[in-house]
Amino acid sequence: MTVVLQQGINGVVLGSLYVLVALGLTLVYGVLMQINFAHADIVTLGAFCAYFFTERLGGDYLQGIAVAFVLGAMLGWAMNAAIFAPLREGGSELLPLIATIGVSITMENAMLAWFGPIPYAFDSPYSNDVIRLGAAYITVQNALIIAVSLVTIGLLYAFMKFTLLGKALRAVAQDRETAGLMGIDPNQLVMLTFVIASALAGMAGAMLGPVLVLTPFAGTSVIVKAFAIVIIGGFGNFEGTILGGLLVGLIESYTTQYLGPGMIDIVVFTLLLMMLAVRPTGLIAEKRDENV
Amino acid sequence: MSSSEPPQIIPARVQALMLSRHMAFVCAALTIAVLPLVFTDTYWRTICTVCALNVALAIGLDFVLGYAGQLNLGQSAFYGLGAYASTLLVTKLGIPFWVALTGAIALSCLAGAVLALFAVRLRGHYLAIASLGFAVITYQILLNWISLTQGPLGIYAIPPPPAIVLPGLPAIDFHNLGNLFYLVAAFALLSYRLLDQLVRSPIGEALIAIREDEVSAASLGINCGVWKVFAFAVSSGIAGAAGCLYASVVGTLVPDAFFVTESFTILAMVVVGGTGTLVGPIYGAILLTVLPEFLRGIGDLRLLIYGIALTLVVFFMPGGIIQAARLASGLLQRLALRRTAR
Repeated sequence: MTVVLQQGINGVVLGSLYVLVALGLTLVYGVLMQINFAHADIVTLGAFCAYFFTERLGGDYLQGIAVAFVLGAMLGWAMNAAIFAPLREGGSELLPLIATIGVSITMENAMLAWFGPIPYAFDSPYSNDVIRLGAAYITVQNALIIAVSLVTIGLLYAFMKFTLLGKALRAVAQDRETAGLMGIDPNQLVMLTFVIASALAGMAGAMLGPVLVLTPFAGTSVIVKAFAIVIIGGFGNFEGTILGGLLVGLIESYTTQYLGPGMIDIVVFTLLLMMLAVRPTGLIAEKRDENV
Repeated sequence: MSSSEPPQIIPARVQALMLSRHMAFVCAALTIAVLPLVFTDTYWRTICTVCALNVALAIGLDFVLGYAGQLNLGQSAFYGLGAYASTLLVTKLGIPFWVALTGAIALSCLAGAVLALFAVRLRGHYLAIASLGFAVITYQILLNWISLTQGPLGIYAIPPPPAIVLPGLPAIDFHNLGNLFYLVAAFALLSYRLLDQLVRSPIGEALIAIREDEVSAASLGINCGVWKVFAFAVSSGIAGAAGCLYASVVGTLVPDAFFVTESFTILAMVVVGGTGTLVGPIYGAILLTVLPEFLRGIGDLRLLIYGIALTLVVFFMPGGIIQAARLASGLLQRLALRRTAR
């Protein structure tokens, strides 16, 4: 029973980080109908940024998360300005996708040339303190991850639901042309979406750093799961993505416990393929059927 | 009745084109014949062989990506399936190499058809992620089914194909790298011939119609589902055969050779060469195989070059090398015209 509870906690920790990464993908898909492979490298860069800030510059870990958030935001701005904005005019569906694969390979291998293939030991100062919850334990680091993710997701949800800008974002996601006719500048909102999405990815990277094996390829293992989450939850669907992320986190921790870590991807992606075969619109269906 | 039909007249230009097609094919065969005579050292012969393998993989992917318009990121899975299936059939069950090759092709075709069953319902990004998921699952199975594949330890000392003995001729021994190159190149040439015939047949037209607009294609009576499954099966069958030959050429198999990144490198070859043409990916594959070898002095930058090439091509020359060549030849023609006018 304790094991079940303990793995449940671990699953929620992982899941909330996956949600942060997947929300970025799904937000961008919502406004642009594009998926961004280079999202993975923002996660990796966020992790490296936090590592260098805390371990090499002696900064505080919490500030490191904030720095990674800002770095992610800047990368998102640069990525939209350099890649997506110029290619959007072409109208092709596959070219931007292939471009992001190219950018992702380039960034990954540039990081490999720079940081080397040997994993970095990134120890958060909070990893060693534990809080007792009945029979189970949770490290302060993991409690921090859950708290930060919860606050961030809550703020984002409130922003999307209750502010004028959030409303405009949802309008652009529903129908870009009509939103444009209502006086909204879609290009600015696409940029805003990119900045938010990438900032979340950078922040998630900073928190994933101590959890993952920190190499230039750390983000790739996360992003393939984030893709699965986005599809399981329904592309462009906020609530579905949260649900899917927690589900994949729990699957991952219970699979590690009962079937072995090698089975994680097999279970997750078999679920994904089954989902695509049975219910391609995702857990929470939405009226959006261009791709299925 | 037949006399009332207009006689089939082939215009001179088309005739010239057909002639040039045959000429190009003969030239390719001649180049293949000469290459091992030019490159006698093991290093360059191996690179030539890898080039031929990559050419087959690239044109195979281009059939499904460039012609049928289906973004398939699962090519590494079929490549790996073919490699492991044939090797395990030979080493564990002692089945003759050529039978194992056939088995590997059949298995990859089948796997491709299964993935295509998803493609029938999905489009664009959904298919890209589904095929990516398929590649991840296959890689993890190769990595974790240790009793069968020996997992990350890999399979070593895979023998080359058995010698072919033809009556009255010296035996063709595949321990000789030159002969191995001929085998792989012949396979690439055969694949090209097959795909070229398919592409220029009504099947090719149907696939292009599906790529351009699925609804219109269906309204013209094209069974989109069937032809998508067909395109996937052909493409993955070629990848599976390439995998089988890869195992014989390299002699070792580790799952990491068939990680998702391999799908991206094949994709890079197709896009850099020019999607939707069969000739383009050939140049793309050769360029992206040979170029990193020249730059080896700087360090292992193979994938960095792939990434940069892929990005630059999408931005500045979406038609790849073929588009660049056409632009250049157009420019030359205009220059020549101006000169004669003067």
